[in-house]
This record gives sequence, C-alpha cells and structure tokens, in this order.
Amino acid sequence: MLSRVADSLYWMARYIERAEHTARVLAVKLESMVEQTPDDSAASWARVVEALTGEKTLIGHQDAFVITRRLAFDRDHEASLVTSLAMARDNARQVREALSNEVWEHLNRLYLRLSPVTMDSIWVHTPARLFREALEEMHALEGVTYSTLSHGEGWYFLELGRHIERVQLIGRLLDVHFRAAADPVHAPKYFDWLVLLKFCTAWEPYTKRYTASIRPQKIAEFLLFDAEFPHSICFSVDRMTEALDRVAPGAPPARRAAVERLAGRLKAAVDFGQIDDLMTGGGIAAFLADITKQCEQIHKTLYSSYITYGAETVL
Amino acid sequence: MQQEAFASTEDFGGPDLVAAPGKPARPGQDPPYARYELGAAYDEMFAPDGTVRPPYAALDSRLSTLSLEELSRRQQACEQSFLHQGITFTVYSDNRATERIIPTDLLPRIVTAAEWARIEAGLTQRIIALNLFLRDIYGDGRVLKDGVIPRALIFGSKHYRREMRGLPVPHGAYVNICGSDLIRNEKGEFVVLEDNLRVPSGVSYMLANRDVARRAFPAVFRSMNVRPIEQYPLELLATLRSLAPFHEDVSIAVLTPGVFNSAYFEHAFLARQMGVELVEGRDLLVNDNVVYTRTTSGLKRIDVIYRRIDDDFVDPLIFRPDSALGVPGLFNAYRAGNVMIANALGTGVADDKAVYAYVPRLIRYYLSEEPILNNVETYLCREEKALSHVLANLDTLVVKAVGESGGYGMLVGPHASRAEREDFAGKLKADPENYIAQPTIQLSTAPTFVGNGIEARHVDLRPFILHGAETKIVPGALTRVALTRGSLVVNSSQGGGSKDTWVLSQ
Repeated sequence: MLSRVADSLYWMARYIERAEHTARVLAVKLESMVEQTPDDSAASWARVVEALTGEKTLIGHQDAFVITRRLAFDRDHEASLVTSLAMARDNARQVREALSNEVWEHLNRLYLRLSPVTMDSIWVHTPARLFREALEEMHALEGVTYSTLSHGEGWYFLELGRHIERVQLIGRLLDVHFRAAADPVHAPKYFDWLVLLKFCTAWEPYTKRYTASIRPQKIAEFLLFDAEFPHSICFSVDRMTEALDRVAPGAPPARRAAVERLAGRLKAAVDFGQIDDLMTGGGIAAFLADITKQCEQIHKTLYSSYITYGAETVL
Repeated sequence: MQQEAFASTEDFGGPDLVAAPGKPARPGQDPPYARYELGAAYDEMFAPDGTVRPPYAALDSRLSTLSLEELSRRQQACEQSFLHQGITFTVYSDNRATERIIPTDLLPRIVTAAEWARIEAGLTQRIIALNLFLRDIYGDGRVLKDGVIPRALIFGSKHYRREMRGLPVPHGAYVNICGSDLIRNEKGEFVVLEDNLRVPSGVSYMLANRDVARRAFPAVFRSMNVRPIEQYPLELLATLRSLAPFHEDVSIAVLTPGVFNSAYFEHAFLARQMGVELVEGRDLLVNDNVVYTRTTSGLKRIDVIYRRIDDDFVDPLIFRPDSALGVPGLFNAYRAGNVMIANALGTGVADDKAVYAYVPRLIRYYLSEEPILNNVETYLCREEKALSHVLANLDTLVVKAVGESGGYGMLVGPHASRAEREDFAGKLKADPENYIAQPTIQLSTAPTFVGNGIEARHVDLRPFILHGAETKIVPGALTRVALTRGSLVVNSSQGGGSKDTWVLSQ
C-alpha cells in the first residue's frame, strides 16, 4: 500500500472517530441538560468543552447555544463536527481508489447533508436530534466500511486511526471528570457520572456488568479495562495491537520490531492495570497521561517506520 | 429544516414504458418542444420539416408522455447522483476554487450504427497517421525533407520535445490515449475540429453519463440496442499493458497532479476501475533509472505510468524546474526504457492547431488514403493571404491561439463585441504565427432539458481512442453541450455541460 494512501486512511478514520465522538457528546449533553440545574449544567458544559477542545473555559461563561454552535458548526474551529467531517472527506477523496464506492458515497452524502445546516435551523426544535441522526449515519458508515471494504492493509490503517483516536477521546473525558472529582465545589454528581457513561455509549453495557449502581471507581474500571466493550481503552488498545501486527507486512523486520515493541508495552499497561492502584492521589490522571504519551510514540514510530521513512534507507 | 437534512434525494421515478405513438409534438409548437428552435444548424432529433428522425422516435414518444415535473425530478436525480459520487469540477477564478457539479443533461444524444462506422474508421485512420507523423518528426524527419509541412511549424512549436528525438516507443505508438473533438456541420457531416493528443479528459463523464441516462430512461434504453461502453477501463488497461510486454506481472500506475486538479475525479475513477495504483509525484522516486513507489512495506517498482500531467511538469530535471508535480529523474528512466509513459512526451506538437490544418495531407502522405473524416476549413494566419482574409472577416470567423486548449485564447467573431474584435486583431497582427481561423460552424443541435421544456442546444462529440499494440475505440463518446441558448462554446471550463451518447448497434 502506498505510504501516502496509508497516511490518508489513517487520518480519515481519526477524523471520523472525532466527528462521531463530538456528535455523540453533543447529543447526550443537549438531551441531558434539561434535567440539570443551570449551575450543574454549566459545570458539565465546561467539562465537555475541555474534553473536546482542551480549552479550559470559565464555568458559566458561555451558554449552550454558543458552545454547541462552536463545537458543531464552526469551520474555523479545528475540533468542530463539520471540520472533522470535512477533513475526513478530504482525506477520503485523496484515496478514493482505496475505498469502496459505498464508503465514499456514504461519507460524502453525510458531509453534504450536514454542511449547510445552521444552528438557527436546529435550535428552535430539538437540537439533539440532528446529532442523533448524524450519529446514526456514522454508525452506518462503520457498518458499510466493515462489510464493503476488504479487510486488508487499508482496513487495518483505518482501524488504527479509529482506535488510537478513540483511546485519546475516551481518555480525555475520563480525565476531566476524575480531575473535577477532586474539586469540592464542582465535583461531578451522580447524574454527571451517568452522563459520562452515555458520552461513551456505555450506560447499558455498564449496567449489565455492574448493575445500575453508579460508582466512579467502577466507571473508571469499565472504561479503562473492560476487554469486551468497544469504547473502552482496553478494547481499543487490543484493536490497535492487532492492526499494528497486520499493516506493512513486507516492511524490514527491524522497523516492524520498533512498532511492535511499543504496541506490546501499551497492551501490557492496559492488560495488567488494576483500578485499585489508580484510585488514590491522581492515579487515573497519571495513568491516562502515560497512555496518551505511549499513543504519541506509536504514532511517531508508525510514521517513521512505514510512511515517512527516508528512501535511501531502503535502497 | 433538520427533517429534510436526511431525506432521500436520488429518485429516478417509477416505471418507464415506451408509449404508443400519439399525435406528434412539433418543435416550436407543442410541449415539451414549444421553445425548440430549428435554425441553420443540423438538428440531431428533428429533420428540417419538424418530423422526428427515426433513431429518436422511441425517445420522442417517451418524452411526450412524461410531465415536465417528472423530467425535472429525473434531472435532479441525475445531479444528486453526480454530487454524491463526487463528480465535481473545480473552477479557479480570483484565486478561489469552487467545487461544482459538471452540468449534465439527462437526454441522450443518439448516433446511428452507420454514422459510428464512419467515425470509427476515420478516427482509426487519423490516429495511425498522427502516430506515424510523430515517429517521423522525432526520427528521420522524412515529412520535413519532402516539404509536406514547414520545418518552422514543428521546431518552433512549444510542444516539440527535442529530448524525444531518436527515442523508440513501444509499437511506435506515441499517442496511446486520444480524445478527438468532432462536430457535425450544417450538412450533417461529422468533421474533426481538434485532436487532443496530450492528456485528454472526459472519459469518466462518458461513463457517468451512461449510468444516469440509463436510470432515467431504462425502457427506452433497453428497446434501442445501445452498444455498451463499460469495457473502457478494461481496454485502457490492455492498452497500457501492451506497452510493457516484457513482464508477466506489469505494475501500472495513474499519475495525477493531485486532489486539486480539476480532473481528479477522473484520475481516481480510472485507477479504481482498472484496479491500479493512483499516484502523485511525491509517491514516486527514481533510483538508478528505475521508478519506484513508496509503500508501507518499502519501495515497489512501477513499469507503466498513465500520466495525467502535462509534459512540462513530468520531470523537473528536464522540463520545468519549478514543477512540484513531477518526478525528478523520470525522463531518464523513460529514456533508459525502464518505465513506459502514456502518452509519450512531445505529442502536443501534433495537436497544435496549426499542424491540425495539415492532417489531411499527412493522412495522404503516410497512408496513401483519402481522409475519411474531413477537417474544418482552416486559415493559417502565418500565411499572408490567409491573414488578410481573416482580418477582413473577423466578424464571421472563429480565431484560436495555436497552443491553447479548453476554449482559452479564442475569439468567436459573430459573438464578440467590436472592441473585442479590434483587440484581437491587434494580437493577430503582432503574432500571426500563433493563430488560426475557421469559419463559424453551426455545431449541430440536440434536445436538451432546460427546466421548463426541451430546447435545442449546440453539441460536439468527443470519442476516446486507445492505441497501443492495436487501436480500439469504445462505441460511445462524451457529447458536450453548450448550455446557454445559442452558444457555441461547449468547454466545461466555460459553462458547458455534457450528456450521454448512445451508439446504436444496428
């Protein structure tokens, strides 16, 4: 597979994952805000903004309309839903020959339909609905990709992009919630923990595993270490490890070893992590920071081994 | 609003039955042809007396039973389908790029079997003669010694590539992919307007148009024995493969300038349909005169490149040094015979608008045959007598710069203002060798859906010719349409659209 194609597929999947995550978080947030007091809702919005953009906003500084408009429709904002979709589509357009027609058309249609939507047109009705619909389309896109694209190297680059992005997105959500838990004034309440699960489509799977008793420690355990739930960090790391094993089959052994070593180390950290060890003294924040750092290293090594390597090294 | 955001938008309507003939609808009188004008031009659908030409009978009876709303719905479905597939064209103006759908018209243009046989024979003859000509001018130069064509025209051409002299090409085929523009004159005769021998585009639109026209008129299509064109990518692949007969496992790539090129959709389409790699210049590198692509697993050798970038940009070491689209060292790899490039470099010298005027003579010279397809009468402004005739008749002639294409650098006399003509006369006098002129030909008209009815619009015809070990012409073409009423400019860069072309098998 051409290195440039691998690069585009990887980023296409990262942007789709980011768009899907943003749509889900916005849908859940807009649906749940009516059940919160204005103060609680504002604190929750601040966490959402920080998790999605990395920006720390003053609580109560912006209202839901302004935040949603920015996170969903602001083309000048690099983390907005339309920007992510536009980037996903741009990348897909560059590798049309590596995608099935169905995948391209599904993504293109989704972009073309969302692209003209404005805040004013959705805000007067049920704003969450647009994001729910977009989410359904993105779930369908995942299914279309799974069933129409050969599960070869290109597919594994998509898998890599999707899951490396997902690890970081879920990680950031966990991070802002557990850091806030240490804050006596704005600590998340029962309802916020429930919403956190919903941000990760984890509410029902969680209750099946732990019953409906909502406890932060169990939530952390579930979202970090559950091996079966597709939006847990453990699950995504498993998929990444498998994908890393399947891409660039003909690359020189030394290069493959560099990637595999990092993947193995990350997998070990997640496989053998114990929630009890993390529950004291910022343990979760440190653990997540370590995972993020390892993902960055994997990304860099992936690129230097398979995509941006110097031609002189293989001649 | 949000309810509509996810509505289905590609609706081609219900069953499509060919209706029994009813009372004939007359052009210029009855709907849907109430505003259909028959002028001086040959009309593809109606004879001068307003009766329907036989090949269009089935389409006519279908159109007479379809409401305008229904036609409109199908037209929109065509456009939606193009949009969803990403069949868009990027227009650059004021440093801004806008993504636009290629305007497409759902009414097919019909070519009879007899007409096609003549076109096919004429284009085959022409591509053979043009390739012999290229081999000659990059070889012995016999045609120059015999004085058939002026030396200055060849060596003075900006498309002549000295680097190609004495370089053999497989099967003597310089032009492997050609898209010739034909027009039908007032007498109904197909004549050649232009040979596009460099990097002709449009074949993907031919195939995309077929897809939507067949969906818009399924029963009419079935009833007419339209010859298939879907094999084009396969034929293209065979042509490219025939350029490198030495290996069992030939590795082929389509070289594109990238996603910002206006024909990018086509490059990706062809690569996908052929099942070959689509590469950009930055994906390729040359080592020891061998061309490689950079893959995740290391370097992979490439044997044949179907390049969709102009000569000038192919190799910055040999041609334009500022080209970021090409591949340093590519030309030397080509010269060494380690990679085949289609089309060969330097083919543009033969589709120069001045050389065009000599093509009938070249056919006689190389093949000792009379041209099957005629040229449009052409005045070479380099000749003094022709120049004065052109200057005196600017209001009736079309004047073109010889090295340009895409409708640029052109004056359509009858449609130009006095000031435009005077401005152009100045350019002509300053640099007569750079211009040719042709009479304003009334391109034939074909029925085109314009929203509130069906009207006559001027069309041309671009068939696609493949020439490797053998010559193949897929029985179909891109019919380009000048969508503006009365306009003769069909170029997509200047507001033209296109429609499907049905070549009948009998």
